[in-house]
Amino acid sequence: MRKFGMKRAVLGAAIAALAMNASAAHAATATGTATAKILRQITLTNTSALQYATIISGATASTVSVSTSGAATCGAGLTCTGTTTAANFDVQGTSGAVVLVGGDASVTLNGSLGGTMTSSLTYSSANITLGATGGSFQVGGTLNVGANQTAGDYTGTFNVTANYQ
Amino acid sequence: MPDFLKGFGLFCAALCGFAAFPVHAAGDLLVAPTRVVLDGSRGTEVVLNNIGSEPATYRISLEIKRMTAAGGLDEIAEADATPAERAALDMIAFSPRRVTLPPNQPQVIRVGVRIPEGTPPGEYRAHMLFRAVPDAAPATASDVARPASAGVSIALTPIYGITIPVIVRVGDLGAEASIGEAWVADTPDGPAFNFGLTRTGNRSVYGDIEVTRPGVSEPLLLARGIAVYPEVGAREVSLRVPPELAAKLKGPVRIRYSEDREVGGGTIDQVDRVVK
Repeated sequence: MRKFGMKRAVLGAAIAALAMNASAAHAATATGTATAKILRQITLTNTSALQYATIISGATASTVSVSTSGAATCGAGLTCTGTTTAANFDVQGTSGAVVLVGGDASVTLNGSLGGTMTSSLTYSSANITLGATGGSFQVGGTLNVGANQTAGDYTGTFNVTANYQ
Repeated sequence: MPDFLKGFGLFCAALCGFAAFPVHAAGDLLVAPTRVVLDGSRGTEVVLNNIGSEPATYRISLEIKRMTAAGGLDEIAEADATPAERAALDMIAFSPRRVTLPPNQPQVIRVGVRIPEGTPPGEYRAHMLFRAVPDAAPATASDVARPASAGVSIALTPIYGITIPVIVRVGDLGAEASIGEAWVADTPDGPAFNFGLTRTGNRSVYGDIEVTRPGVSEPLLLARGIAVYPEVGAREVSLRVPPELAAKLKGPVRIRYSEDREVGGGTIDQVDRVVK
């Protein structure tokens, strides 16, 4: 609780300082009035990526899933190496605040040597209630790997938002 | 220095960066306040701060979202906007729309409102989206580790942001809300405390939910910032709770829905329920 109070106070002070700078230019000798406006804030931090690691495709189409806890399921016929992780987002704000989680349901990945893949995306929760230390949500997914998928580095982007009501 | 060594130095720099920050997290952000209500007479300011470790370019835009009966917010394409939603986009002005910030550099976004003559009374709302414009997808560490065989490596870059509602009220508006049944249910992600909220009137309701057990002063559950927007007459609120709290919530409880503390904290509705 105290931590948030401090953060909000600092933000308020920063805004007050901006305001005072502005007024000081106009009235250098006027009596000062100290004002501080405390604003509620939200922060969003991306602390890990949705990582499917490296996959060697097989003769038949298959899938690789990464759960919202980061556990991987390598489909039949595929070889999966490396460490998989789910994307993690930390949210900080007023204790008790309910934040809605939104984002794309799927993403298309384009290969560096041609070829595309799609991945569905799953979210750990549709909303989170922030505690004294904030909260977090995770994004996992299921990647559709084609038969003899063209090798290469596949990249894609997906949208995620933390929404206040 | 031989090219080989230079290359190695770059490689090391990239790898060290990776070790310190597991993700290329340029784009972390802070937004304050978390909700804006304007009556048309004056504007306001919203603060955006780059809380990441690298400079980032942020784009600010207005989006249309509609509340669902389940309490989610659906994104609506501009082409599918209703006249009232279109009007909200047109009456809210803001600047700047794009800003590049070094780490820990706040930027004030000025938000103004122009209500055209003859705008029918009502609540007009858009959602202000703040998000970083992504860098080109970085070469990932797994590239380095990737064997020369025919493997497939994946780099998924999230474009992530924060939305806050910007609400413009025109005319004298009112609304009431009442709390429906409450129950605890299991979801695939764990237990959740659920209840219904119905709304009447011509504006949204917004406030905090407090669940207490009669005779116990410490609230069992506190959930702040729950709204019912005018496009829905009722919504469900589903809050995930730890299993031990879910067990405690069952039985007789008092549920209070109160207005935001910033506008007095008055009771909107208060009911006694037996949670199943």
